[in-house]
Amino acid sequence: MVRLRSISIRNFRNIHAADVELGPRLNVISGGNGQGKTSFIEAVYLLATSKSFRATKPIESIARGADIASVRGRVTEDDLEREQSVGLRRGGRVARIDGKATATLAEYAVTTPAVVFHPAGLALTAGPSAERRRLMDRVALYTDPTSLVALEQYGTALKARQKALVERGATARDAEHWEALMVEYGGRVMASRARAVEKIADVGGRAFKEIATPGLSMNIAYGPSASSVPSEYREALVKHRAADIRRGSASIGPHRDDIDLKMQSVPVRGAASQGEHRALVLALKIAEIEAISEARGVRPMLLLDDVSSELDVERTAALFKYLGTMPGQVYVTTTRPDLIDTKGIGAHRVDFVVRSGVIA
Amino acid sequence: MNSRRLQRVVKLLSRLPGVGEKTAMRYALHLITTSEPLAHDLAASLAELQQHLRPCSICQNIAEIAAPNDEPICAICSDNKRDRATLCVVARVHDLLAIERVGAMRGGYFVLGKLLSPLDGIGPDELPIGKLLRRIEDGVTEVIVATPPSVDGEATALLLKRELETYVDKKGLKITRIASGVPHGGDLEFADPITMGRALAGRQAI
Repeated sequence: MVRLRSISIRNFRNIHAADVELGPRLNVISGGNGQGKTSFIEAVYLLATSKSFRATKPIESIARGADIASVRGRVTEDDLEREQSVGLRRGGRVARIDGKATATLAEYAVTTPAVVFHPAGLALTAGPSAERRRLMDRVALYTDPTSLVALEQYGTALKARQKALVERGATARDAEHWEALMVEYGGRVMASRARAVEKIADVGGRAFKEIATPGLSMNIAYGPSASSVPSEYREALVKHRAADIRRGSASIGPHRDDIDLKMQSVPVRGAASQGEHRALVLALKIAEIEAISEARGVRPMLLLDDVSSELDVERTAALFKYLGTMPGQVYVTTTRPDLIDTKGIGAHRVDFVVRSGVIA
Repeated sequence: MNSRRLQRVVKLLSRLPGVGEKTAMRYALHLITTSEPLAHDLAASLAELQQHLRPCSICQNIAEIAAPNDEPICAICSDNKRDRATLCVVARVHDLLAIERVGAMRGGYFVLGKLLSPLDGIGPDELPIGKLLRRIEDGVTEVIVATPPSVDGEATALLLKRELETYVDKKGLKITRIASGVPHGGDLEFADPITMGRALAGRQAI
């Protein structure tokens, strides 16, 4: 298993300087609202993946008045220890493992796997499809390391085609070439997403059975927007050119993919209750953890941001029951540490209190 | 530090690719303080470059001219031993030089100067395709497309293939694309996943 032994945070959101030794199993981070609990696990996530689950630009995470934010930590995997660091400044980030920058940020991201579960993540099943595409792509990163490159290439071809169509009309000479590339790169994205969803589907379905009302079952399938037959995909793109100029983007393709979620054979969006959505989200999170564990060969660290406030009592209990069976390092933030039921993993519980960005 | 002459040199140097304000200042101060006549020699050489180098009128490679009114023809285009039937199309002079360094290419070149890139305002009409076609009509039997394996490079390769189609049908022109993948002598274990993926996708029968 992989775990963080210690973390040093500088100028990250409201945490100016913190050096913390972490517990091997369960770390409970408590404190009032706005004190820095989420910033703390965001720093852990940043150290693990080089990305934030909140900000889109590095600059948004840098403490006001500072130019550079940094997170540094010692990570152990099996018996080996490594030092990882991520520095953020205006315009970019640097991620290093044992002092050496990795060739790509994707390579850094898969080194120390981490899965986060935060309140905004509850929109996973009821909200827009972008969140579900991100789930597929996070898993695909582990099952197929080149998937991210294909996704970037696809994005470039997609934008180039749109620009060509807007500037030169539906008969633009180069449109067919960008479309050929969209089909080629998009085909690779679809293939790796299909494999990723296959992994998620199996575990997710089983996890849902344990969490939800007895008798309910969930069906998870990849919902590609375009045909996987290259000639059909290309023809559809040609057919939609005029419409795509009007709507401002291609109407089909991986950028519009989804995960089809069904409960008792009925699509869940609009049909499932709040409680059922929570169970679905939790099952998908467990599936993400399991799929990554299997692909990467190591248990990811699990970061739970204030989930008990969003999940109901039943779901929270189900989550902690699962955590008891899952070996791995877990971080939990909460305003009420006394309510964290940690029967399964309580033996190795370490508590921290965050107040005004200071961690004690 | 507020010498206007120095500031001007720093400004000019920092326009070069890969040179920022700090590096430009280092260069400028070095030029002033070194005992060698470096600044003078550099200035003279740069002025000569401007005077004597032009894009080759045939292939757009760099060509040297003796007098201002000479037609610029590069060393490769004026070499009679070159195989005129084979033409290698590259994006930039850089790429031409990289291929020349290998010494395996015995034909001529055609430098596009840019790649198809609508996001940078470069459409098919911005590429020198008419010039390329005239060149091909001049006895070329094989075109090797050596644009980079980037998205823009691939799109440009597809465009060239389409534009040259009539020559393939009517005159039996052969169009090839350079292979990409694992470098020769490289241990497979050192290949990054992308390169490896490309090598596998472009595998050949043996």
